[in-house]
This record gives sequence, C-alpha cells and structure tokens, in this order.
Amino acid sequence: MSDWIKRFIPFASLIGLCVIIAVLEPRFLSSGNLASVARQTAVIMVMAMGMTMVMVSGGIDLSVGSMMALAGVTGAFALAGGAPTVVGIATCMAAGAFCGLLNGAAIATLKIPPFIVTLGAMGIYRGIALLVTDGKAVVGLPTKFGYLAEGNLFGILPVPLLIVMIVALAVHFVLSSTRLGRYCYAIGSNVEAARYAGVRVTRCQIIFYLILGTLAGLAGAIEAARLVTGQPTTGEGYELRVIAAVVIGGGSLSGGQGTVVGTIIGALIMGVLANGANLLGISSFTQQIVIGAVIVLAVTFDAYQRRRLDTAGS
Amino acid sequence: MTNEQSALEMRGINKSFAGNTVLAAVNLSARAGEVHALVGENGAGKSTLMKILAGVYQPDAGEILIDGQPVRFTRPSDALGSGVAMIYQELSLAPDLTVAENIFLGREPLSFALLGIVNRREMNLRAGEMLKAHGFKIDPRASIKRLSAADRQLVEITRATVEAKRVLVMDEPTSSLTAHEVEDLFRLIRELKSRRLAIIYISHRLEELDVIADRLTVLRDGHAVYSGAWGEISRPEIIKHMAGRELTEIFPPRLAEKGETRLRITNLTRLGKFRDVTFAVAAGEVIGIAGLAGAGRTELVETIFGAYHADSGEIFLNGSPLHLAQPDLTVARGLGLLTEDRKRTGLCLNQPLATNLTLANLKALMRGWHLDRKRETAAAGEHIAKLHIRPSDPNKTVALMSGGNQQKVLLARWLFAKSDVFLLDEPTRGVDVAARSEIYRAINRLAEAGAAVVMVSSDLPELLGMADRILVMRRGRMVAELDGRNTTQEEVLRHAAVDESEPQAA
Repeated sequence: MSDWIKRFIPFASLIGLCVIIAVLEPRFLSSGNLASVARQTAVIMVMAMGMTMVMVSGGIDLSVGSMMALAGVTGAFALAGGAPTVVGIATCMAAGAFCGLLNGAAIATLKIPPFIVTLGAMGIYRGIALLVTDGKAVVGLPTKFGYLAEGNLFGILPVPLLIVMIVALAVHFVLSSTRLGRYCYAIGSNVEAARYAGVRVTRCQIIFYLILGTLAGLAGAIEAARLVTGQPTTGEGYELRVIAAVVIGGGSLSGGQGTVVGTIIGALIMGVLANGANLLGISSFTQQIVIGAVIVLAVTFDAYQRRRLDTAGS
Repeated sequence: MTNEQSALEMRGINKSFAGNTVLAAVNLSARAGEVHALVGENGAGKSTLMKILAGVYQPDAGEILIDGQPVRFTRPSDALGSGVAMIYQELSLAPDLTVAENIFLGREPLSFALLGIVNRREMNLRAGEMLKAHGFKIDPRASIKRLSAADRQLVEITRATVEAKRVLVMDEPTSSLTAHEVEDLFRLIRELKSRRLAIIYISHRLEELDVIADRLTVLRDGHAVYSGAWGEISRPEIIKHMAGRELTEIFPPRLAEKGETRLRITNLTRLGKFRDVTFAVAAGEVIGIAGLAGAGRTELVETIFGAYHADSGEIFLNGSPLHLAQPDLTVARGLGLLTEDRKRTGLCLNQPLATNLTLANLKALMRGWHLDRKRETAAAGEHIAKLHIRPSDPNKTVALMSGGNQQKVLLARWLFAKSDVFLLDEPTRGVDVAARSEIYRAINRLAEAGAAVVMVSSDLPELLGMADRILVMRRGRMVAELDGRNTTQEEVLRHAAVDESEPQAA
C-alpha cells in the first residue's frame, strides 16, 4: 500500500498543480503553451532518464550540465565544418558517451565516491568546453539543424518531445525488463550483496554512467539546435534540476528506488511550476524558492519512507 | 503483598502496528534474582515486548509494574531511570568512542562537576576494574571499532550491568560469543542474580537455557502461551509450544551417497587470516567447519568464493582449477555462499523478495533481452512453497520479513542458482527452531541431490547433528578432522581451544 502512495503522491501533485494553474490562467492549456513546456523540459528530461538509472544504482553525476555543453560544442564544430546533421548528432552523443565512460571508469575502478569524481569532472568538462571555444559560441551551424529543437513531426508533435518519449521508453524497458535493470536496483540497494550474488558490479556501473553521458550528449545536440550555436556556457545548474526531477519523482539519493515514470512526473512538476509562474507573472526569484521547497519536501518524504523500513521487522 | 513479589510485572500488554496485532494481552512477570527465559520463534513478538519494556515503543493497552509500583515509560531514558536496562541484539555502541566512553556514556565521572569536564583517568580506571571483575580481557582505552564482534558484545553487557538496577534484558547475548566467553557471561549472570536483579533472557538456544534459566515464558504469535519454572516441561514440549505443532526431529536423517569430488582446496593461504588449508568435499557430503571466533573460518569460505584474493594455494571446482577467483565467476561455475552477515553481504533490503531470490541466476529467466516476470514469479513461488517462506508474497520487501525468513530467502537464492557447492556460513544464526529445521531439511535435500555442502557454524550441536565430517580450525590452521557421527562437543572444543604458547598463523 505504501508503494502505491509513494507512486501516487507525485502524480496527484502534478495533476493538482495543472488544475490550479489552468483555473487561474486558462492560457496554460493552449496547445502552443503546452508545446513550449515540452520543449523547455525536453533537455532536462532526456538527461533525467539517464540520471534515474545512475541514481537507482546508488550513484550520482554532477557533471551532466558540463558534459552537455562539451558535447554540444564538439558537435557544433563538426556541423560548422560541414558534417551532415546526423553525423553532428552522433558526434554530440559520442562525446557525451566518452565523458560518461571516464566518469564511470573512475568511480567503478578507482572506488572514489561518485559525488567527488563528478564534482571534479563538472569543472574539467566545462573547462575543456571553454578552452576549445575560447569562451565564444561556435557559430555557422546549418539552419536545418534547428529542426531537432523547433520542428514538429506531422506538424503537431514537437521533435524534442518525440525524442523524450523514445528515450523514456527505452530506459523504462532497460530498468524494468532487463538483467541490467535488475542489477541496477540490486547494486543501488546493497552493492556488496549484489557482488556476493555474482553480479559484475564494476561493469554495470560503468555502463550506467556511459548511458547517462550518451544522453547528456543527445541533450547537448538538442540544446545546440535550439540555440543554433554551440554554447560552452550552456547547461550551468542543470545538474541540480536533473537530480531534482529524479528525487521529486520518488528516486532515492541512497539508491535502489526510482522509476522512469516518476522522473517524468518530477521533471514535469518543475517545468509546469516554472511555466505557470511565468504565466501568472510570479518572479523567477520566487520560483526558485518554490522549487527549492518542493525538493526538500520530496526528500523528506523519501527519508520518512526509509525510516519506516528500518524500524520494521525488528 | 507476598514475599514472592515480582521485580517486574507486565500485565495485559497489547500492541499493534498498522492494524497487525503483534502482542495480545501478554503477561510477563520476573522475580528478583531469577533468570527468566523468554523464547519464541522469530516474529512471535519478543523484541516488541522488550522494546515496550525499554520505553522504545508505547503499549496500546496494559501496564508495567516495577517492584509493585506502576510505571510509564514514554522514552528509553524513563526505563533506565527506573533501573531497567537492555542489551540489544543489534549492537548499539558508538564505534568511534572508546570502551570506557561507551560504558559511561551519559554519566561520565566529572572532575569539576559544574564545568562538566570528564575525568578521563577515573573513567578508564573504573571501566578497567569493571571489565576485569567480569573476567573480560578488554582495554578500556581501545576504540570500539577496533574490537571484534564478540568483544563489542562484552562491552555492551558491561555497560548494561552498570545501568541495570532492577531488571536487565538480554536479547541473544551469546550470538557472537565463543564457548569460553559464554562461560564468562554465565558467571557474570550468576553474580547479577545474587544482586537480586531480575534478568530477562531471550535465546534460541535451548541448550544454553538449560544451564542458566530459572523460569520460562513462551511467546507465540503475540500470545504468552506458557509460563512456568524451567524444567517443568521437556524440551520437545517447549518447541511444541513455540511452533504450535510437533517438531519430530530437529536434525532429520539424510540418505545421501558420496560421489565424486566437487571442491578441492590445496594449501590455500591468505596472509594474516589462514594458512595452508587443504580439504576436499564430495557430492552428497556435508562437512562442518568448527572453530572459535577469529579462527579464520569466515575468511576461508569468503576466499574460496572469490570475495577476497588468496595469496597462494589452489582451488579446484569439479576437477578444474579456479584461476582468478571473483564472485561472478565462481557463481557461474556453480559455487554459492550463504553469507554470515545477511544484512551486509546478503540481502538487498529495500527490494522485493523475488528480486533477492532470483538475483544470482537471472539468466534462467531471460527471453533474449527480456526478463520474463511471469517466469520469475513462478520460480519464486516454487521456492517460497518449498522452504515455507512467510509471508509468501513475492513482492514483499525483504526488510519487512523476519530474520529466519530472510535467511530462507538467501538459501533459496542458491537453490535457484542450482549451485553444485554450497558454502554456508552460520546458516542458522538468529533463526528460530522451526525455520532451523526447515533449513536443515533443505541442506539434506541438497546433499541427496548431489551437491557438496560446507557448513561453518559456531553451534556445535548443529555441526554434530548435520556434518559427515567436522574440520576444526584454530588460529588460521586446519588442526583436526573428526567423524561427525562419532565425536563429541568436548572433543571439538579441545581442538578448537587456543593454546596461548602457540604462534599466530600469519
């Protein structure tokens, strides 16, 4: 029953939030506005899917914003040099994958806490992005590339939303229906127990960070398409929004808990809050306070759940 | 008032959690100067009853009297204030503080009372005297995290004896002690009895209670089903009260034929832990490994399993050598380890029962890339039924299950992995009698089906009852091999006991 509550509370909050905003400001429900919410949250959501996997496995990655910027810049160089769009996107993803692989390898083989490794990586990747661009935006991307962020499939479905849906389905399948997904929950719940059950913990951990890096690269491509430039400064502070989406959606900072559906709801709660506040003319300063409070509430709930488990059965 | 007035009286205690009745009108009374044994299966309500007595939980109904005076404990400090102290099963010491600091935590001797400056010298001195008086060889200045599990237990006992003025509760105090330390503990308990303390003693080991208990209360499913003087009813009758049914044989007979050698270890050495260990186990065989705490038994089986690297020596599994030992490789080759510490290296506590049960053999449930949930539920259900795991819901979070059932889940994990060689490290620690005999039966079925079983245990009757051969370890060396059917506890202990003049193994 408590599992049911845990899943239901974020969903009910999202619905409640939408109803309140729609009543106060009917423009919220216009298809133009909803599409813009989707576009604005797409980048966060794509990365949050990978972060769900990393956090379920008991890890964390603070370098996602930097990876996204570095990947975006790398892809922008390729595109500005005349590479076709598909190659540009692939370059972004490859750059992100490489960063993720480095993170995962350092965490899994050197046994350094992920918080520290990725805190360092956050600075390193950002620094490299600034260094190779000399701090300036990479320009000269083909206008066609903007379709990735601004285009609509069949004239109605925003392309970024389509990407989010594909990524979400894929990650959901991995987490719920594959061996890797099962190992993810086991490692996050108790890494030693997983190892003693014969799980190849190191390899799994590297794969989780690799997937997150790849998705950060994809997010970097979408962001570059939206700006039609490769911005080395983009994505600052995104790591916290990505982590917040996972946590609000029921993911646990101590591992073993979290779902794709929860994370989508978590990202939407933050996206809708920001959008609604804009529509209602609430300042972005106040928005930060509200979003901060929501995060604390979600973590409090998580801690309460865990305490209940700790005291039971004794 | 009678002269038989109880030091402790709990009357009509009711408690339920989230609608589940855990205790129903339980009465318990203990006289001053007696050891009152409290027995029952895991989940019978012993721990809850004692937590109510310690002020950790509040009862829904009922009253507690100390020396005939009604008391109300709303927090643990209230209970301590009334002279009720408790030794918890799960250790509750501060690992970074010293032994003396832990013993005097909350009532440190002060030099200048007003300034609250701790008189460290006197504290160490008094703690040292206390430990010595109890016969425990522990340095009061040592920090807790450097002590062995057994020494921590002894520190915990020492601390509780300071706090206990009227009632002392001991929850499985011997679970991590060696036979020798148990004797020290019993000597201490007799001394506490002479100080007119009422001692509530929770244990699964009825042999132990034979030595120390004066009276007995049996709990079953939250009811006190029997209360009387120890010895009034026989051991099988006690077990019957606990289980609510007849347990004909604790150690069922085994009809296994010895087959080819499954596991062979030659000169295996891990420096500082064990040295030159050689033995072999054949299909259908159950061998026991006996020894005192710290003899290197757990380290040995964990190294065979591949959780740690050996410094030298060889391991042969089904005739072929294991070169690079790692759990993922040894598991794939048919080795399973039921770990000593199920919370640390066994269970994924916040995950469902089924996840824990199938973790070591998910490949049996795959259809290509896809993990077949239906097949998983069916496989889990089959093992739940086979080992009578309760609750039987495969989606139940294992943290919410009792210790005995958690242990059965872990055993089921290796049954499901179809291991050839089972390394069982303390397979029945903290497990109630009914679950124990279930585990013993499962071990017998494994041997009968051609598996080889290596069982590390500190419970000598268990080793004598189950093992074909008993290997005895002492200070990291294999010192004796005994025939499990023709040996005695005394003989095993004689080999296991440490001769002080002997050098350390590594």
